[in-house]
Amino acid sequence: MEQVRLSFYDEIRNNKIYSVLLIFFVFVILVALGYAISFAFDPSYFFFILVLSIVISILYIWIGYYNSASIAIASVGGIVANPREHKIFFDLVEGLTLASGLPMPKLYVMKNDQINAFASGRDPKHAVICITTGTLEKLNKQELEGVLSHELSHIANYDIRFMTLTAVLVGMIAIISEIFLRSMWNQSRSSNDDNKGNGIFLIIGIVLAILAPIIVQLVQLAISRKREFVADASAVKFTRTPTGLIGALSKIKENRDMKVSGAVAPLFLAKPNRVSNLFETHPPLEVRIEKLRKM
Amino acid sequence: MTMWWIIGGVVVIIAIIFFTYYNRFARLINQIENSFSQIDVQLKKRADLVPNLVASVKGYMKHEKGIIDSVTEARKSLVGARDFAGKVRAGDQLQAAIGRLFAIAENYPNLKANENFLQLQTEMSAIEDKIAYARQYYNDGIMSYNTITTTIPGTWFASLYGFKKKDYLHIPDKERAPIKVDF
Repeated sequence: MEQVRLSFYDEIRNNKIYSVLLIFFVFVILVALGYAISFAFDPSYFFFILVLSIVISILYIWIGYYNSASIAIASVGGIVANPREHKIFFDLVEGLTLASGLPMPKLYVMKNDQINAFASGRDPKHAVICITTGTLEKLNKQELEGVLSHELSHIANYDIRFMTLTAVLVGMIAIISEIFLRSMWNQSRSSNDDNKGNGIFLIIGIVLAILAPIIVQLVQLAISRKREFVADASAVKFTRTPTGLIGALSKIKENRDMKVSGAVAPLFLAKPNRVSNLFETHPPLEVRIEKLRKM
Repeated sequence: MTMWWIIGGVVVIIAIIFFTYYNRFARLINQIENSFSQIDVQLKKRADLVPNLVASVKGYMKHEKGIIDSVTEARKSLVGARDFAGKVRAGDQLQAAIGRLFAIAENYPNLKANENFLQLQTEMSAIEDKIAYARQYYNDGIMSYNTITTTIPGTWFASLYGFKKKDYLHIPDKERAPIKVDF
């Protein structure tokens, strides 16, 4: 463990700090949302709704923190891998845990023809790795090893904690804001403005609801591009050769789109859909391959 | 009065430094010992599979008694090995013997079609990979350990506590090069 801890020390520390900041940020946003909602609907319930929103936020974060991995796995429909059927998966991960001194993660498989994988969990002791059936079919042993090594690096440096927390907590904020916006929309159409003073909070509420997911996503995306490079580099440290990962990334170029929720997309080895936009979660494959070649 | 506070503070800081270094050594030694026990687990698994392997090839490779015996012998010396160096050496010999056996098995199409044999072959090669990884982690541990035992200021504490530089595990040439078979 020491070896891993020494070399990943900065990454681990940053990820832990980011995770705490994220939790705090999400908490503040949720309470602010509750505050805005209480004014928008009925100011007389202000105190009650505020307390309720604090309680709900804490519960929400608590549940999200301890179940983030299961939520991520469930959202992609992953099933527990079978040691017999997926023997090579187990063998390779076991070998890599020996090389890295990490505990054995739980292994999952998701049914999909494309090559992709992700790791999740709150720390290395509660980590999971999920790969698609396509990955098992299309990659050779060395390439699969490169992919798994990349995922183990995410586990070793606590990327999984921050990234999964972001996916789960932010994903839910998006849902809550959406519900809020929709009910606001309905309400403003049905009732006439008998309480004008609430107009300002109504606007705040709407602005918050729109901004919340964007802000949090921006924070996440800013960091996750660098994470992929770091994980690629440490993957090579475990396998001692970039060949496997280079081969895997080259094959991933042929991937078609996968249907996964936008919230968990940044967790994946390579972005699940090809639409490129301003908020790119992954660096381009060519750049990653280029960097690996130079190692 | 202030004087004593300063002296006390310095003593505490020095003590912390001494403890910290001791713990660093202790942690690395634990890591090294742990990675050795991981190697040991895999060596034991390999040894446990040998009787199955011998049983499954015996019927097919009647004229290769020499190679089968060498595998059995190598297993015996692995099981009998007591110390670390002995175990690793015996493990390497067993690996080499098994490698030769698999190379010769290439000449027996019936054997290569045998489900049980194929399973053992994949298992043996998985174990070989795991041993290689466990050794790599062992050597990584030795490297960190040696780095602090030989650089300043770690080296002062090392000599104070009596921690000495440790040897790397050398990966035998036989394992690195593909196995050649003479006929």
